[in-house]
Amino acid sequence: MKYLFMRIFAGLFVCALTITFIFFLDKPLGNMPAIGKLLDPIKGCWVAAEPVNKNIDASFGLPGLQQEAIVWFDERLVAHIQAANDHDLYFIQGYIHAYFRLWQMDMETRAAAGRISEVAGEKALTFDRTQRRKGMVYGAENSLTAMESEPHTKTMIDAYTAGVNKYISSLRYWELPIEYKLMNFKPEQWTNIKTALLLKYMADDLTGYSEDIPLTILRDSLPSSDFNLLFPEKIAEATPVIPTGTVFAKPSLPALQTPNDTVWAHFKMSDFTMSRAEGVGSNSWAISGINTSNGWPILCNDPHLALNLPSLWYEVQLTAPGIDVYGVSLPGAPGVIIGFNDNIAWGFTNNYRDVKDHYLIKPVNNNNKMYWYAGRQMSFSERIEHIQIKGQADFTDTVKYTIHGPVMYDENFEGPGGLKKAIAVCWTGHQATNELLSIYCLNRANDYAAFTDAIIHFECPGQNMVYADRVGNIAMWGQGKFVHKWKGQGRFVMNGADSSASWKDYIPMHENPHVLNPPCGYVSSANQETTDSTYPYWYIGYFKEFRAWRINSLLSSLKHATVQDMFRLQNDTYSILAASVLPDMLNYLPVSLTEDEMKYYEELKKWDYYLRPTSIAATIFQIWWEKLYQNIWQDNFEHIPVKIWPSNERTMQLIKRDSSSKFFNNWKTLAVEHLRDVVSLSYIETIDSIYKLEKGNKTEWYKAKNTAITHLAKLQAFSFNEIKIGGWGNAINAATNDHGPSWRMVVQAGNEMDAYGIYPGGQSGNPGSKYYSDFIADWAQGKYYHLHILKEKNRGKPKNMKYKWEIKVQ
Amino acid sequence: MRLFITTILIIFFAAIAELLSPWWSIALVSFVFGFMTDLQKWKAFIAGFAGIGLLWLAEVFWIDVDNGHILSEKLAVLFHLPHYSLMILIASLLGAMVGGMSAWSGILARKMFLK
Repeated sequence: MKYLFMRIFAGLFVCALTITFIFFLDKPLGNMPAIGKLLDPIKGCWVAAEPVNKNIDASFGLPGLQQEAIVWFDERLVAHIQAANDHDLYFIQGYIHAYFRLWQMDMETRAAAGRISEVAGEKALTFDRTQRRKGMVYGAENSLTAMESEPHTKTMIDAYTAGVNKYISSLRYWELPIEYKLMNFKPEQWTNIKTALLLKYMADDLTGYSEDIPLTILRDSLPSSDFNLLFPEKIAEATPVIPTGTVFAKPSLPALQTPNDTVWAHFKMSDFTMSRAEGVGSNSWAISGINTSNGWPILCNDPHLALNLPSLWYEVQLTAPGIDVYGVSLPGAPGVIIGFNDNIAWGFTNNYRDVKDHYLIKPVNNNNKMYWYAGRQMSFSERIEHIQIKGQADFTDTVKYTIHGPVMYDENFEGPGGLKKAIAVCWTGHQATNELLSIYCLNRANDYAAFTDAIIHFECPGQNMVYADRVGNIAMWGQGKFVHKWKGQGRFVMNGADSSASWKDYIPMHENPHVLNPPCGYVSSANQETTDSTYPYWYIGYFKEFRAWRINSLLSSLKHATVQDMFRLQNDTYSILAASVLPDMLNYLPVSLTEDEMKYYEELKKWDYYLRPTSIAATIFQIWWEKLYQNIWQDNFEHIPVKIWPSNERTMQLIKRDSSSKFFNNWKTLAVEHLRDVVSLSYIETIDSIYKLEKGNKTEWYKAKNTAITHLAKLQAFSFNEIKIGGWGNAINAATNDHGPSWRMVVQAGNEMDAYGIYPGGQSGNPGSKYYSDFIADWAQGKYYHLHILKEKNRGKPKNMKYKWEIKVQ
Repeated sequence: MRLFITTILIIFFAAIAELLSPWWSIALVSFVFGFMTDLQKWKAFIAGFAGIGLLWLAEVFWIDVDNGHILSEKLAVLFHLPHYSLMILIASLLGAMVGGMSAWSGILARKMFLK
C-alpha cells in the first residue's frame, strides 16, 4: 500500500514536471522566443539554414497569373523577370520581393505606420506615436487615393499586392522567415496602403529632417549679426547642383512680399525642458561623351542611406512588352527606382530643399476643439490613432489636424528640446502625390522628353535626378513639388494664426532648376545647394558641400574617363575638410611638443588626406576635428535646449578666414582664448583619446569609426560590424558609422548599356542564406559586379544565368 | 538489447511524428515507448534521452553542414555561445532532455497502474 502510494506520487510528480518543462519550451517568455519550438530542427529556426548549394530551379503554377512567365536568377540571385504583360510583371515582382524579403517589407511598413509596438512591445511606443503624429498614415492614405485613381499605377499596385499575398498565403509556420519565429508574430495580408506607407517612409527619411524649431530658438537668443554669420541662408563658395552660369527661365509666378514680423512664432527658454538630435547624403554625376574615352556618356549614382540588413535594395530586371529595365527596387513597392533601360540611365540623390514647415498653433481659450486662423476660430479635425502594444492594453492617441497639417507636438507629446507648445507640421509628403507613376513612366522612358514627362510626377521626396542617354545627352533636374515661398518662409516656426504664413502656390514643375548638356561636359550632385542665387525662386535646404567640392574638382579635370575611373571616384576617400583645414590646425600648434605629441604630429604632417581604412592619421584628424568643433561651439550653445551648431563647412570657413573670431574664446573661463588655444587644447584631448584607442588596438580608421551594417531588428547576431572601409561623411565614399553608399552604380551608354553596380548586402533577406550578405566584402573593397542584362527570350539557358522559375497559369 | 531497440523505435517514430505534427510530438512518442516497453526506469530515461538527442543531433548536424555553418554561427552569437558547435549541442541536449523526461514519465505512469 505504502509502495503503491509512493509510485503514484512519483509518477504524478515526474509527469507534471515533464509537462511543465515542455509547456515552457513551447511558450514565449517575455522577449524570449519559445525555445523548444525555436530549436526544433524540422520546423524551428533551423529551417532558415539554407543549403549553400541549394538549387532553386522550380516549375509551378500561380493562380492569378494571366500568362506564363519565366524568371531567371543569375549567380548573385538577381531576378530577371520575363512576363507577358504589366499585370504579370508586377504580380511576380511582388511574389519575389515577398519570397526573399517578406519580414523586411513587413517591418518597414510597420515602422512607417507606427505599428512597431504591436510586435516589439512598449519600448517602441514613442517611436510609433511620433510616426502617427507626423501624419505618416494620413499622407500614405492621400497618396493611395492618387495611386488608385490613376489607371497605370492602379494596375501596378493591385498586381503587386496580389503577388505578395499569393506568397504569404502559401506560407506554413515552418516556412516563415526566422525573424518571425524569434519575435513571435506572423505576417498579415499585404494591402496597397502598405506600399504607399513604404514610399512615405522613404519620403520621411529623405525630407523629414527639420531645423525649424532649433533655428527659431537661435534666432531669438543670438544677436542677429552672430546668427547670420554662423547660420547663413546660403553657404559661401557653394558649387551648386545646377552649374553656375545656367540661365533660368523668367519665373511665371510673381515674387512674394515678406509679411511683417507677426508672421513668426517666438519661444521662451521656459517652453523647453530637455534635449534630442541628426541627417544623410548621396552622390551622383554624369559625364558627357566629350569627356569619356570612348565618347559615350557615363552616369554614376550612389545614394547614401542607412546601412541595414536585409538591404534596403533588391536588384532586379523587369521585362515585359514595352518595358525592359534593370536596377534596384524597394521591397514593398513595384518597379525599379534607380537604374537604366536600353536607352536611358538615371539616378537620384536627395535634393534637401526644405519641404516641411512648422506652425505654432494658437488654441482658442477654454475650448480645446478650436484654434485661431486668419482672425477666425476654426475647429480641429481629430484623428484617433489606436496603437496596439504587445502584452499590454492599447494606447489611444488623438491627433488634432489643422489647416496647416497635424499637430505633431503639444502638451501630450513634447517636441525637440522638450517643447510643450502646440506645433503643426505642413509637409509635401502629406499630399496625394503619386511617385509610383513617375517610376512607371521612368522605367519605360526612352529619351529625354519621356524622362522629363516621367519625373514631373515625382513630388516628394524632392530629388536631384541625374540622366544620361544613348543619344549622348546628360542632364540634371532638381525635381520635386516645391512651394512658391516669400523670402524666409518656413525657415523658422511660423505663427499658425497668420494666413500669410500658409503655403499658397507651387512652383510649376518645368521651372524647377535643371540643366541639359552643360558646356563643362558633366553634371553632378552631392546634396549641395541646388542653384546659385540667380534662380528666381527663393528656397532653403539642409545642404552639404564637402563632397560636391571634391567631385567637381575631380570631374572638371577629368578627360577620357572610363568606367574604371568612375569606380575610383565613387570610392574616393579624400577628405577635403582635412586638406583645407589640417595645415592651419598644425600651424596653430605650439612649437614645443612632447615626444608623443610629436609622434602624431609627424604622422599628420606626412598624411595625404585620404581616409583609408587602415590609416591612423585619418583617425587622429577626425578625432581632432571633432574635439575642436566641440570645443569651439560647446560653450556658445550649451544653453540652447536642442543641439544645433554651425555646420562643419561654416566652422572650417571661420577657422580659415576669421581666426580672431570671438567664438573661439571660451566665455566660461576668465582668460581670453584664441583659435591657437582651442586647437592646442583639442590636440591634447585627441592624443588622450588615441591612447585609449591604442589600448584596444582600435587606432586604424575603419576600427575607430566602426561602419556597421545593422539588422533591422538590431540583432547583433545578424549584423556586421567594423566593416573594413574608408571614407566618412565629408568624403565621396561616405561610409559613416551607420550610413553609406547604399547602391553604387556606374552605367556607360552605348549600343548596349554597360552597367556595373553593388550594394552592401545580398539578394536574400534570410540570415541563414549565403546570399544574405555576400556583397558586403566586395562593397567595402570598392569592387563592382558587371550587371547581366538578359536579352535572350529563348528556352535554353542564357549566359550567366543559374536558376530558372517557370511560372504557369493555374 | 531492449534498450537499444526502444531507442531505435523512438528515433524512427519521433522522426515521422515531427514531420506531421508540432515539435512536442517527440515527447508523446517517448512517453508511449516508455510506457509500453517495460524497461528499468533509468533505462527508459536513457532510451528517450538518446533517441531524441541523437535524432536532433543528426538532423541539425546535416542541416548545418549543408548550410556551411552560416546560421549556426549567427545563432551562437544570439545565444552568447563561443562556438557554433555548442549551438548544435545545446539544441540536441534540449531535445534529449525532452525525450528522456517523457520516456521516464512513461515508465513511471506505467508503474502507477501495473505492477
